[in-house]
Amino acid sequence: MISIRTKKGYKLNIAGEPSHELEQLGRPTSVALLPERIPFVKPRLKVKVADQVKVGSLVFEDKRNSDLVFLSPGGGRITKIDFGPRRVIKEIVVELDQDEGYETFPIFNEAQVENIERQMLVKAIMTGGLWPLFRELPFRDIAAPDSIPPSIIVSLDTNEPFQPTPEVYLKGKIELFEFGIKILQKLSEKLFISTSQNRSFVLDQLNSYVTHICERVYPADDPGVLLYHIKKSPDENRAWYISGQDVLLLAMLFKTGKYPVERTVVIGGALVRGKKHLLTRIGVPLNHLTKGRTDKTEKARHIVGGIFKGYKGGKDSYMGFYETSLVLIPEGGEKEFLGFARPGFQKPSRSRAFLSFLNKSALPMDCNCHGEERACINCGFCAQVCPVDILPQFTYKCILVDEIEEAIDHGLLDCVECGLCTYVCPSKLELCNVMKNTKKACYLEQL
Amino acid sequence: MKFLKKIFDSKRKHFAQGGRFEKLHPIFEATETFFFIPGIVTKKDAHVRDSLDLKRLMSMVIIALIPPLFFGIYNTGFQSNIASGLPVTFIAVSLKGLRIVLPVIIVSYVVGFFWEILFASIRKHSISEGFLVTGLLFPLTLPPTIPLWQVAIGISFGVVIGKELFGGTGRNFLNPALTGRAFLFFAYPIKMTGGAVWTVVSNVNSSGVDTFSGATPLAVSAVQGTASFIESLLAKAGFTFPKLFFGLYPGSIGGTSTLMCLIGACLLIFTGIASYRIMIGGVLGVLVAAYPGYIMSLVSGNSTVPMLALHPLYHLVMGGFAFGIIYMATDPVSAPGMNTAKWIYGFAIGFLTVLIRIFNPAFPEGVMLAILFMNLFSPLLDYFEINFRLKKRVPNV
Repeated sequence: MISIRTKKGYKLNIAGEPSHELEQLGRPTSVALLPERIPFVKPRLKVKVADQVKVGSLVFEDKRNSDLVFLSPGGGRITKIDFGPRRVIKEIVVELDQDEGYETFPIFNEAQVENIERQMLVKAIMTGGLWPLFRELPFRDIAAPDSIPPSIIVSLDTNEPFQPTPEVYLKGKIELFEFGIKILQKLSEKLFISTSQNRSFVLDQLNSYVTHICERVYPADDPGVLLYHIKKSPDENRAWYISGQDVLLLAMLFKTGKYPVERTVVIGGALVRGKKHLLTRIGVPLNHLTKGRTDKTEKARHIVGGIFKGYKGGKDSYMGFYETSLVLIPEGGEKEFLGFARPGFQKPSRSRAFLSFLNKSALPMDCNCHGEERACINCGFCAQVCPVDILPQFTYKCILVDEIEEAIDHGLLDCVECGLCTYVCPSKLELCNVMKNTKKACYLEQL
Repeated sequence: MKFLKKIFDSKRKHFAQGGRFEKLHPIFEATETFFFIPGIVTKKDAHVRDSLDLKRLMSMVIIALIPPLFFGIYNTGFQSNIASGLPVTFIAVSLKGLRIVLPVIIVSYVVGFFWEILFASIRKHSISEGFLVTGLLFPLTLPPTIPLWQVAIGISFGVVIGKELFGGTGRNFLNPALTGRAFLFFAYPIKMTGGAVWTVVSNVNSSGVDTFSGATPLAVSAVQGTASFIESLLAKAGFTFPKLFFGLYPGSIGGTSTLMCLIGACLLIFTGIASYRIMIGGVLGVLVAAYPGYIMSLVSGNSTVPMLALHPLYHLVMGGFAFGIIYMATDPVSAPGMNTAKWIYGFAIGFLTVLIRIFNPAFPEGVMLAILFMNLFSPLLDYFEINFRLKKRVPNV
């Protein structure tokens, strides 16, 4: 086991962290697929409104590769296909039947997995609809099925305050996880499994599998950060990664022959009562998760997928394919009288410019920017937190003047899109978004 | 608060696009955001933001400037009353100091803000907080006898040529306050240097004036002599090391007291707003530059270059070095952004300060020139360090 020292990053001390309790949620009335939230995919719809589908029926495929299929997370009737601007497909809603039908997929036992050819295994995962769980660094597109990755990184942990912890989602499923690892070992010779310090549960149960231990700061657990710290040559850049929970899905598909839909989701944030882990399914409606747990949905921002990386979901929308976290924090937007001159005992800040440095308790936060956008003053706070040693203040300026080559030399593609640079910036610049969009543009140009 | 909010809400329409005072929108905005942090919310990720903004950051610098400012006011009054033979009670001295310093600060802010507003209105962007600091830093570097029209010209040069021409706060490569001061220094040398400018003498009681020699420590020590001679000369003029450290001697308004600057430095370093690397690098630079000459002059006994014989520690407490390295050199915009570059930058400022003082006594303000000179080099220092760093990176293309 190798310990990875990350000198940078940041531990956000925000109020509303979930407990480790797991609650089993009842069935929702509908589930949905959100093609809009799946990166780079060009969906070709295979269903119409009013079609009947089973769990695991083909809903849409990727135009770039028609073998890349996306299956229905529920059995029932398609009630709505919601198009957004420029015909982007936002939601495909399936109203669940009382008795959901299941499509069947081939079942593999451990010996079969051991002996199967790699190509056949890839095919089985693709037809099982779970290939999109594999993502390829650095652009985080769905992995190319016909390529062999230099390594696969499984990040069990998450140091983001609102993501499921391995203690919860792995409890009682260690064997399933081990089976999943066998599948991954077949896909790549190098398999890195990382967890954070002091995760005694994981370290006890999976001691022989864990290869790297990261520090407990955000985002040290990100596969991109791990790769940045362990890579020795440029050949290793195109590593794949898969999250710990998704390894379980993979194993379930092979064990049961059914398209797995089970998800452990975290609900947290200051506006939620009973912040905890919820056992539910892929694509549940947000109001199914929040029901009875919050009163102030009007004033709350529903952040799907984490406080730093997530997106703003409407309160009637659905959880995406990858997302495992729902955070409700106040939208904010109130003006604060003489805010800059207050001692700020309650104002969370990484700097020591507020008295809050004396306050060790978790502080409530809202979505207020706490200031207006200004020009960069080169304070370098962003470089102090960047986990992959990019110099966002310089890289950002390279991008603004279209010196993309230079930005890439600076390590733009190593960017793990963690959002910390945006978080700390006193000039309130959208550093991370600028870098993310540039990365995306670079990738689309390469295609 | 509600009352203020109402006022702003009712007047907003006049300053909005198409309103009567559309052109003055930056003033309205600056005033409103002074009273209220605007309720802008994040549009995308990251959904939460740090509470620190530029207003807070700049106010911390202002707070760090309070010790030298208050002491400067007291000292100015004190020197003036001594020279004029007036009573030196605390209240009398403070009032006198205020009467001298306050107009300078007010002129600096008013004229500076005029330019800020003008540029902001034409460029249609908001007024940056950076000027709050510049407008206070600039007067603190001036001699108390400065005529107010020169203050106005100096700050105008600093803000317009030093900053706005290049695009405003964040885009300037020179420290605007120092640019203004350097302009005055070269344009009106009589008012900026020499013995007479550092104390305001109000001729109420002329008997006091006779005993008054207005020389600054820098001027005194620029006399030929051995090491012990030069120190005794300084001491004879009243400039013992403790006195220089505490700062109760004639000099620029805010720059005399090393102690007060150190208090400010503690705050700046603690809050992480100014770089300790630059400050420590600067001190090292001074010591490294001054010690060889000092030892040489000790050995040879007599030196042709007078300043060489001065004990290096004196360089740290004289001529506003502490003020310069703590408040001026650490301006993040004109300093380098990389850590090693900051060490080099600070070191070079200290080194050059001593070199200028020793070998070019015609320009006693060594620290000002050294900082401006190194401002020019900070992009280059950054460039080298970034290139060096990128070589160690595993490429990702």
